[in-house]
This record gives sequence, structure tokens and C-alpha cells, in this order.
Amino acid sequence: MPPRLNLTSAFRALSLRASTTPAAGTSQPLFLQQSQKVAAPAARRFYSGDNLTPDSQLPQSEQLPPSSSSSSSSSLSPEQFDNAAQQSVRQQQQRQDNVNALNRLEMVAYGLNPFDAKEEGHKYGLPSLPLPSELHKDHRYDDVMGQITRLLMKDGKLSKAQRDMAMILNYLRTSPPPKLNPLRPLIPGSPAPHFLPLDPVTYLRVAIDSVAPLVKIRGFRGMAGGGRSLEVPAPLAARQRRRTAFMWILDAVQKRKSKGSGRKMFPTRVAEEIVAVVEGRSNVWEKRAQVHKLGTAARANLMNPQIKNFL
Amino acid sequence: MSATNCLRCLGRPAVAGASRGVIVPVFAPRTAPFSTTAVQNAMPGKPQKSMEHQDRSVRVYRAGKKMKIKKKGNLDRGKPPAPGERKAFRKKIVLSNDNALPVPWVTEMVAGSLSDRKQVGTIVSLPPVLQDQLRATEAFQPTQTWGLFRKPSTLIRQESVDLIGKMEKAVENKETARIVLTGEKISGKSTMLLQAQSHAYLNNWIVIHFPDAQELINGSTEYAPIPNTENPTLYMQQNYCLKLLQSIKKANEKIFAKLLSVSSHSELPQNITVNQPLLSLINAAKEAEGAWPVFQALWSELNAQGANRPPILLSMDNLPHIMKISEYRSASFDKIHAHDLALVKLFTDALGGNARFPSGGAVIAATNRNNGPRIPSMELALKQRLAVQNGDSEGMPVKDPYFKGYDERVEKVLKTVEVMEVNRIGKKEARGLMEYWAASGLLRTTVDEQAVSEKWTLGGGGVLGEMERAALLTMKI
Repeated sequence: MPPRLNLTSAFRALSLRASTTPAAGTSQPLFLQQSQKVAAPAARRFYSGDNLTPDSQLPQSEQLPPSSSSSSSSSLSPEQFDNAAQQSVRQQQQRQDNVNALNRLEMVAYGLNPFDAKEEGHKYGLPSLPLPSELHKDHRYDDVMGQITRLLMKDGKLSKAQRDMAMILNYLRTSPPPKLNPLRPLIPGSPAPHFLPLDPVTYLRVAIDSVAPLVKIRGFRGMAGGGRSLEVPAPLAARQRRRTAFMWILDAVQKRKSKGSGRKMFPTRVAEEIVAVVEGRSNVWEKRAQVHKLGTAARANLMNPQIKNFL
Repeated sequence: MSATNCLRCLGRPAVAGASRGVIVPVFAPRTAPFSTTAVQNAMPGKPQKSMEHQDRSVRVYRAGKKMKIKKKGNLDRGKPPAPGERKAFRKKIVLSNDNALPVPWVTEMVAGSLSDRKQVGTIVSLPPVLQDQLRATEAFQPTQTWGLFRKPSTLIRQESVDLIGKMEKAVENKETARIVLTGEKISGKSTMLLQAQSHAYLNNWIVIHFPDAQELINGSTEYAPIPNTENPTLYMQQNYCLKLLQSIKKANEKIFAKLLSVSSHSELPQNITVNQPLLSLINAAKEAEGAWPVFQALWSELNAQGANRPPILLSMDNLPHIMKISEYRSASFDKIHAHDLALVKLFTDALGGNARFPSGGAVIAATNRNNGPRIPSMELALKQRLAVQNGDSEGMPVKDPYFKGYDERVEKVLKTVEVMEVNRIGKKEARGLMEYWAASGLLRTTVDEQAVSEKWTLGGGGVLGEMERAALLTMKI
């Protein structure tokens, strides 16, 4: 294997180090420096923590957007400022270059590769590994989103289904906060209703998980005697539960009347049904209760000696 | 109402009139003598079975009976949507979203906002009065994302400042700026028109806006030849004209109440004398029948020289539609060129430079790429104008000598217009926009250089509508 020590890349790397002024001697990778620069708007995910309210998260200078507030003024005249700045940058660059070169020599002495791709040649740095799931092309969407979009799909037109799903989310974003029905409690741990519209993905997830059934009824043909089938409850996995719930919702959407036309009509109907589910008005709740009732009644059949081999 | 009981004897007659020997009319259904259907239908009871069927010994073939299959599926018994309701759903325009957070640094648009070069990259909101005016002229479109934010707001772009600058300069010199906006799909041409209109309203111009040129030529409104026009015969569209007049009136009501007429118009349904407010002139058009003469009178009043009229903005969206043969036919069943429709002619004359507004103004048209027809003459003319504007005489495109589809009338109109390209936005503007989205609570990421760069790239290198699609119309929120 040829040595990977390549001098051209070393020079290129040296000339790149002119931009911002971190303290001399830091040999931080670029991507780490980037992530430290994250400014005030980082806090705009205002209900990521419980104790945060939207008001406390606004930047100090409220009348200015974040980008314009960062440009600070100085008392120097522009030319003076330019000269001084240039000189200091040059000095710092030299110092930095020396430090970097020394660091590299040190690394070579230890038998390490000083020109690791992690550090050099990337405009925005390399992402930290392992990659978060949303950076993988197959898992770029929320898991519920991905599953449900495919359930919406007709004739294999995934792109259209995705557009429909986006419209559903936009409907949820613009609809008023749902009024919950205490008789139809949502899944435990769901956020307060006034938080739901601005987080439509959670809105949808809460709706589906709340009406997802826990069991399905399996029929064993002819085992109940007299040709009747023996009904036995069987637990469902999370994906199966969501699928069942969303298929029920889609059935309800089919029965819903279309009052308009155009490409927004179908997503609007789906979104209306989802709001109805969260507000406890939907018939899907009845279906769930029915399945659960049947499951409770049939659970004695689990002890049937005939089916022990099947379970 | 007659009493059921006989009032004299308090006895109830068993059959009305039968006991007294009065002839009682038989209430048989009245039908035409040559039809018996209604009578048969009105007969009570089932048709009697023939004796043959009851006699089991006789073999009877059941003739005339068919197997009926009951249709399954849910019968739709609900009320169907009212006429126009479905279209209303499609065309509904929502301008606010109460869930979105108010953005503290967004200011209201004022008369000078759009011409201020320092404000490029900032967001300004439309004041409520202006919203009503823009609604009246149908400047908002249902495909735009007004409904997602707290208040309808718009980004001030470099192009918008340039456009408004041209409008202002034209008014200073009492000239008419004639501009065609071109650009890619969803790059913001219609929004640019909206900004031009906003500037005009805020600076007390008169605005006449054709929201969709397609409506004029696709055979959806009534038309009639204008009497005494020959070679070519011109056609008026009275229904469209009435609608246009009403929208003009609604949007410019304050100005029209102050402007006074300079000549009398006795030919109108309502006699208008000198020194009457122009509002009463518009009000003279109550029905479609008199709409075209009223519009003509209004146009001549607005263009009256020496009457101290305000500047005029004449604008049209979806320009390519009026650059072709229309769907209408003449009395001899020849196709009518769109420029022979009087309203279109008025616009094309102004765009071609034949009309001169007394206090200056602007004629602005926006092309459309999504639904628009391809007009080779128009495309060539616009490219040629761009080449001339850029001083690029060598790269001037020329006509294809083997192509027959060029249209001289179109070329004549576009010969001297100014072409403005609505380009992609830069990263600075993109950042201002994305900070606004994030502060509204609609974009749930940190807005840093990387995020801006990502959306800017996903949006085709800064095509504004594509950026909106990538950030606001997505499953990844």
C-alpha cells in the first residue's frame, strides 16, 4: 500500500485556514466549529423542552431578524478597520499554520494519518457517525409518515401520495387546535391540543396511535364445533396496529362526501377525518372498541387445547 | 276553506253530494287524450293476476320478467354540492393562519417600502386595506402560500425594487413604462405583479388588472361585434367588462370618488354630465348590456389630457393567452384573433406604446409557463428584446426561415417593450425568507448557512416557489 501522505492536500488545507478566528492551537475539525456557530434561531423549536415558551426564545433584538443582528458595528473608521483586520488575520493565519504543521508532524511521529478526511476538504465538514436516521435516504421521513404515505398511494404513484400527505399536514397546520373529548382519551403522553397544529407530524401520529387496536381476531376454521370458527385474539405489532387504524380512517374518508374539486379535495377529506378522530367524533373509535370487546370475550378461547399447536 | 260537515244539519255526508243527487266530478288525472301512461300510473292497486297463473295444471311460461340484480354499494342520498360550491372550494383564498406565530420584525408595507433598496431581503406585510384592494382585483392566487402565515407578507427582492424603480421613473417623466415579466415556473412573476399593484395602490395610482388573460379568449364569456367597426370587426365582451368594472370600482373607490368627469356622456344608460365623480360613471353600469360603453367612457375620462389624473397601472397576468387566435368565431365562422377583442386590444395597444397616460404610469404583463400556450413569436420577440437590452447584438436570435407559425401582430405589440426577467433569489434573500418561515413556526430547523444552502439548492438554485415546495409543502416538517 502506498503511503497516503500527500503534500498537495496539505498545502490546500493550509491555505484554507483563514476565515474565522478561533483561538490559536485549536485543531478542531471544521464541522465541530460549524456546529458551535449555531445562532439564536436554534432555539426556535420552541416546545422541544417542556419549560420553554415561544416568547422566551425570541432573540434579544426583537425588531431585527437574526441575520442582521449579528453584524456588530465598531468605532473604527472603515479603512483603519480594514487594515487592522487584515494584519491581524494575516498574523493569526501564520500562527495557525505553524501550529497545524507542528500538530501534523506530531501525528506522523505517532504513526497516525495527519490528512484524515474528517478534517480536510469539506465545506460543511463531515457529519458525525452514526448518521441520524433522517440522513439515510430510506429513512428520511418519520416512520409513521413513511408507512402511511404508502397506504395513501394509488396506482403506485408515490410522489402524488407524498404531495397529498404534505397537503394533509398543511391542513392540520392551519386548522384550529382540536377540542378534545374526555370520553375518548388520546394516547398517553400526547402533547396539549394547542401544541398540535404547529407540529402536524405529531398530530397525525397521535391520531393514528390513539385509535390503533391492540389485537386482531384470528378465526380457526371449524374448531368451535358445528363448523363454526374459533375466534382467538392475537396481539398486533406497532406497524400492524398503525396500518389497521389508518385503513379504518381511509374507509371513513371514502364515506365522507366530497364537497369540492381539485387536487386539495382528497387530502382535505383525510385531514378532516384525522381532526375528527382527535376530537373523538369519528366512527373509527367505535370500530376499535368493537374489536377490543370481541377480543376480551374471545380470550377464553386461548385455552382451547386444539389451538395450542398453532399459537 | 269549506267545512267538512254540513253546517245546517250537522250530519256528515258519507259521499259528498251523492245523497243529494248532485253530479260530482270524478277526480281522474287529467291527461292528454292520446296518452294513457299517466292514467295507468295513477291507478291504485296491483295489476290483477290472470286466472291462468292460478291454475297449476296449466304450464305457464313467465314472459316479460327479467332478472334484476340489486345494485350493491352505498347509495348517495345526501344533498349534492350547490352549483359553484365545488369551484369555490378550489378557488378559495385564505390569507391568514391563526396558528402561525407573529413575526416581530415584520413591518407593514408603506408607500415607499418597495422602492427602498436597503430593504431588499426583508419581509413586509400587506396592510388590511391593501389586502381588500388586492382581493378585489384577484391578485392573490390559490396556489400561493398566503394561508400558512399569520399575516399576508411578501419578500422584497432585488427585482421588485428594480421594477418599482422603473414605475416611479416613468411617472416622474410622465411616461408609460411598458414591461413584460418573464421567468421560470413559480419564480414569482405573479407575486411581482402583486407587488407592483401594491405599490400603485399605496401611492394612489389607478389600477386596472386583468387577473387571468385566459378568461378573455377561451370562449367562456359572451361576446358580440361592436357596431360600426370594420376591417377588422372588433368584439366586446360585456359580461367580462361588467365584472372588470366592478372590480375596478371596488379597488379604486376612494380615488374615483374624488375624480370628476371632464366631458358629458349622453350615450350611456344614465346621463353623466361634466363635473360628476367618476364613481357615478362606473355605477352607471348596472347590467352587462351597458358595460362596454361605460368602460369606454371611463377609459376616455382617465386618459383625458390636462385633467390632473393620477398615474395608471394596467396589468395582466398570463400574457401568452392573448397572443394567439381566440376560441371565438365571427359571423362567417372565421376564427377571431385575440387582438380583435376590444378589451384585449385596449391592453395590447397600451403595451405596444400606442396609448399615452396623462400622468404617466405603467403597463405590466406577466407571462406564465405552466398553463400557457407556446407562442413562438412572443418567445422570439422577448428574447430579441432581452438581447437588445443587454447590448448583445451578435447573439440576437433570428426568425426560423422555415417556420410558418409566426404572428406579425404579436411581434408588432412586443417590438418596443422592456423585458424583465424574474430570476432566482440569492442566498441573502433566501436567508431572510427562511428566517421568516422559521419565526412563524413553519420551518422547524435552525436557520444557518447550511440549512439555507440546502433549501436553496433543493429549490433549483433559488427558484422561490420551488424553495417553498421544498420547505413548506413537504412531509418532513
